[in-house]
Amino acid sequence: MVDFGRVQKELQECNRDINVSGISVNPKRDNLINLIGTIPGPVGTPYEGGTFKIDIDLPDAYPFEPPRMKFATKVWHPNISSQSGAICLDILKDQWSPALTLKTALLSIQALLSAPEPDDPQDAVVAQQYLKDYQVFASTARYWTESFAKTSSLGVEEKVQKLVEMGFPESLVRSTLEVVGGDENLALEKLCSG
Amino acid sequence: MSLPGNRTRVLCKFFAHGACLKGEHCEFSHDWKDPANNVCTFYQKGACVYGSRCRYDHVKVSVSPRQASGSSSAYPYQYAVSESVSATAVPGVTAELSASSRSYISPAQSAWGEGSGDNDLLDDVVGQSRSTNPSDIAMCSFAAAGNCPRGENCPHVHGDLCPTCRKQCLHPFRPDEREEHKRNCEKKHKHLEALKHSQEIECSVCLERVLSKLTAAERKFGLLSECDHPFCISCIRNWRSSSPTSGMDVNSALRSCPICRKLSYFVIPSVIWYATKEEKQEIVDSYKAKLRSIDCRHFDFGNGTCPFGTSCFYKHAYRDGRLEEVVLRHLGAEDGQTVIAKDIRLSDFLSRMRIR
Repeated sequence: MVDFGRVQKELQECNRDINVSGISVNPKRDNLINLIGTIPGPVGTPYEGGTFKIDIDLPDAYPFEPPRMKFATKVWHPNISSQSGAICLDILKDQWSPALTLKTALLSIQALLSAPEPDDPQDAVVAQQYLKDYQVFASTARYWTESFAKTSSLGVEEKVQKLVEMGFPESLVRSTLEVVGGDENLALEKLCSG
Repeated sequence: MSLPGNRTRVLCKFFAHGACLKGEHCEFSHDWKDPANNVCTFYQKGACVYGSRCRYDHVKVSVSPRQASGSSSAYPYQYAVSESVSATAVPGVTAELSASSRSYISPAQSAWGEGSGDNDLLDDVVGQSRSTNPSDIAMCSFAAAGNCPRGENCPHVHGDLCPTCRKQCLHPFRPDEREEHKRNCEKKHKHLEALKHSQEIECSVCLERVLSKLTAAERKFGLLSECDHPFCISCIRNWRSSSPTSGMDVNSALRSCPICRKLSYFVIPSVIWYATKEEKQEIVDSYKAKLRSIDCRHFDFGNGTCPFGTSCFYKHAYRDGRLEEVVLRHLGAEDGQTVIAKDIRLSDFLSRMRIR
């Protein structure tokens, strides 16, 4: 049984100093088991300026078992799967301790973004690139941050108009945007792939 | 004393106050016409502390045979004397002797036996005889509670102020009692202070105040032997007993402190949180002492084997009370050092043997 009292406290605690840390945790739906956390990309890294969403599932034995976390936002990082968003971090596995909280775990993930460990990779392709050609890695990471981790300042109508101008039919644009959750880049990708 | 249907004709004290629980079965009279027995029993024995202010009558009553024989426990000194007499007397005459010694002793010891009927004079005599040994004077309970209405005129001793509890409860003439009170009072005070301080402490796992948890069983700290991070007993035990996931090292993960990851081999339950190292040691020692008085389930009076061996906290004793003897066999190793050999059992060899 998840200790909901503790989860509730953690959420309050975390969202209280959101202005300082930039880290927030909120319920995904109307329960306290499926949560969504957001972390800002660390300054001075290719992830700067992005806001990364992380899916959090709490196991029954939480806090005696680590929370299951993975990136919901696509990210180009040696220790994060570019496909599934799975995170390779010891404290989310065998080094978990019940004294850690969702906030400290998210802080650790944020630290992981600024200090990748290519020797213990989750995504071998990214790790290879990181080791062999750092410049290419950095620009790819920056491009992915721009494309996926930045909330577009455009409104829905503007996004629709932009895509319609590119030559896609309006009804298809609207339904696609809805499917991908309003992300114009993802929508474009989907429209292009057919 | 009184047979059923043959009640003593003395008014029941409890009935007089309207609160006799015995009702019909009371051996005293529930009839207002009967006289109340308002004789002070302490005065009969020789000294009543209340003197002229006693609510009972200070009159001498001729000792009825019933009282003389019936309540020997009220005359402890007689008892002692008769016993000392009987120790030297021939067994056959003991009863007779003790009877005579009683009649000899009691009037001499009684206050009214001195031949004075004056109450005030009597009080003075009693007061003087008592004041010869000031440590015998009782302490005033009103003063101890904070305020004595009689002030200076109080016949009892007003105690000195206890520095810890701020009450007038230190008897000026009883040094042993003073010391004991001071000791207990300080101990109590320290415990209260520690308890007050402990109220604020939160468990680092459930993030709740340990002493404010829902069930009483949970309102305990689990102290780790090697570090000073606070947890509630249920959280830390839960964590240490949780099954390790793959790749998890039991010693570095589960047995270590969730915060500093320092390895601790045992958890000590405690209702208070300590402030100093000495206090922690005291808690640990008293816990270990308590466990040492409990028989080990594994050892089972010598019938079983305890996996913890000589480092077990519980008592390893045989049924006849004999403690387990610890014999360590030292083996000389090749490099000149000695190692302590473990128990070798025949079964170890047998289990490894393969029968073809």
